[in-house]
Amino acid sequence: MVDSELQEPNIVAENVQVRYTVNTNDPGLKAKGLRRVGNVLRGRQGQTTVRALRGVNFIAREGEMVGIVGANGSGKSTFLRNVAGVEQPDRGRILVRYQPLLLGVSAALQPALSGSENVRLGCLAMGLSPEEAAEAFDYVVDLSALGAAIHRPMGTYSSGMGARLRFAIALAARPKIMLIDEALSTGDATFAERSEKAMDELLAEAGTVLLVNHAAKVIQELCTRAVWMHKGEILMNGPAEAVAEKYRWWAWNVAKGKEDIADKLLHDVVSSAVKEEINILEPELIRDPIPRHASRLNKVKRPENARHVRRNTHVDEIEETEEPLLAAAESQVWTEKIDVEQLAVAKFPVLPKPASEAVSAPRIHDEPPPLRLRPSNKRVVLRAADPKDRASSVAASDDLTGRRLESRARKIADERYLERQKLRETTDSIAQDSHT
Amino acid sequence: MSETTSSSVATNPLGLSSIPSVSSEGLVPVGRRTSLRSYLGALWNRRHFILAESRAKMSGSTRKNLLGYGWLFLNPLLSVMAFWFIFGFILESDRDIDNFLGYLIIGVFFFQFTGKSMTGGTGAIRSGASMIKGFQFPRAALPISVVVRNFLDFIPTAVVMVLLIAVITPPDVITWRVVLVIPVIILQTIFNVGLACFLARVGHKIPDLTNFMSIVSRFWLYGSGVFFSIEDRLADHPAILATMQFNPMHAYLTLVRNSLLYATDSSPWLWFMAIVWAFGLLIVGFLFFWRGEESYGRL
Repeated sequence: MVDSELQEPNIVAENVQVRYTVNTNDPGLKAKGLRRVGNVLRGRQGQTTVRALRGVNFIAREGEMVGIVGANGSGKSTFLRNVAGVEQPDRGRILVRYQPLLLGVSAALQPALSGSENVRLGCLAMGLSPEEAAEAFDYVVDLSALGAAIHRPMGTYSSGMGARLRFAIALAARPKIMLIDEALSTGDATFAERSEKAMDELLAEAGTVLLVNHAAKVIQELCTRAVWMHKGEILMNGPAEAVAEKYRWWAWNVAKGKEDIADKLLHDVVSSAVKEEINILEPELIRDPIPRHASRLNKVKRPENARHVRRNTHVDEIEETEEPLLAAAESQVWTEKIDVEQLAVAKFPVLPKPASEAVSAPRIHDEPPPLRLRPSNKRVVLRAADPKDRASSVAASDDLTGRRLESRARKIADERYLERQKLRETTDSIAQDSHT
Repeated sequence: MSETTSSSVATNPLGLSSIPSVSSEGLVPVGRRTSLRSYLGALWNRRHFILAESRAKMSGSTRKNLLGYGWLFLNPLLSVMAFWFIFGFILESDRDIDNFLGYLIIGVFFFQFTGKSMTGGTGAIRSGASMIKGFQFPRAALPISVVVRNFLDFIPTAVVMVLLIAVITPPDVITWRVVLVIPVIILQTIFNVGLACFLARVGHKIPDLTNFMSIVSRFWLYGSGVFFSIEDRLADHPAILATMQFNPMHAYLTLVRNSLLYATDSSPWLWFMAIVWAFGLLIVGFLFFWRGEESYGRL
């Protein structure tokens, strides 16, 4: 949609690999000999190594809401746990601008304590001071809309109520990066509306949300971009509409038992997938480019390439791009006219329309989007004067919190909100039409 | 730049975007173990969380019982009675100990403080799994909150214990040395923090340890001279007696008994042992726990 590369990245994952060694009772994996005796003594049957993530490269930028779709066991939750820093990947690394906050399905924090006590405990765990926690309390209770249930033990909550409270607690610290793992799918319709609004505000403040949800429709509605994970790898990365649509089609075929179609779809996606790699530039290179640059000149012949060396070893791709040039070189026709034409063709190949333009509704960039009306008595002002003492800004050596508040991220968020409303209205009216 | 993007788009029929190089400026690795200095700073910032967490554990466990906080006092009192019946009445190990009941009360109350911190610290990571998954905070807050919780439990019981002893002992032994109990409690608490941190990492790595811990705790209870005098019993085994002198719990218990029951000055060796054990284990245990900081998310 927008030229998102202008935005600063909030999350960068480089070649993240995770493997777990787990017990299995797969008869094919039974150990032999003495080891088997040992396993029997320990009450085990065998062990196997599961590769949960096989080299995930991923970037999420400010103001982006990225949906993650994929079948069960494809590594979505593992990825989110690693981004949150709960676990460390076996290989690769994950860089973040702010401390991410993970919202998982396991809702109850301290089941024996009441909801209000959990609110306080959660706020303090995120690094708020007691005064800030007390200030945030009303906001959390308001947002969760639990009523009198807030004073009951959290262990007695339904899963939806627990998820609501967890979400509200998480927002109390004003996180910049939120990772939502199916946590909102248990909420009811009113809560969905509230949580969407809250997330829009988060995005408008140059935040990032990663959303795992099995309903492709939710991803299409909410997200700007989507990622399809399959067996620990990212298969597809692109506009939410296109990716979610493909995934839904694939999942539908799998569900209907049409495995040949599903396999073919998967094969198509895999064959067109670009194995993306990220080149992370270390800050010293930018801050003090001269000495490194000077030393690199000796080794690397084309220094301007070193800025984005994408080790993109896709053999077909190289052949395709080079072929017209090679043909031109072989035919030895070096008249200027033909050369110019060839170059023009190579530079601007006729491409299929980008899926974002093809599917999504047209946008009007000329007129400014109408202002969203916000409640004036907003009790969301919890930010401390010093950004360093807050949970969500651990990364803040040079915190850019306030700078981009009214940047285009807000514009995008507003735009998307309106668009969603419009879409809903149209679908509602269509539904009503079909009813009447 | 434009060349690389356009070429990758060309291979991709959907026109998907590709990932170019990014600058890591302002980005930090997530969930990594920070330097000891900033770790301690972060821990200090979470001091309110540690307090709240320990209070939560305290009330969470007492609410389930009918008597609630009453068990804080009833449990050690009942065990004192049980031990008195077996060791004092049946085995008659009280014949060479003055004021055996006071001796027993101090032993049981003070040992329970460390014993509970030990078992609680071993399971601290496991029982705090939901907090670990939900929020990012220095994980050392969990074993420390176990000790803080036991400390908060211990203070009211210690007051009751001192009152009990004041009732059952002759008034002439109560001297200014009673005040010396306070530094001993502080030293023992520091010792417990180190112990809980150390065992938290070991217990996370080796889950079997919870089974083993009850045996270790019992062995330690008997070996620290809670209900008989080690010096008298082990007079025939000087080698074992010599090693027993290094037992930190023995040092703490003897220090308390000397100042509360017998109104005598303790030897400097005992004070030395108490201080070295407290700070030595705190440093070793905390550093050991801190070095495993990244691993606690995997259960």
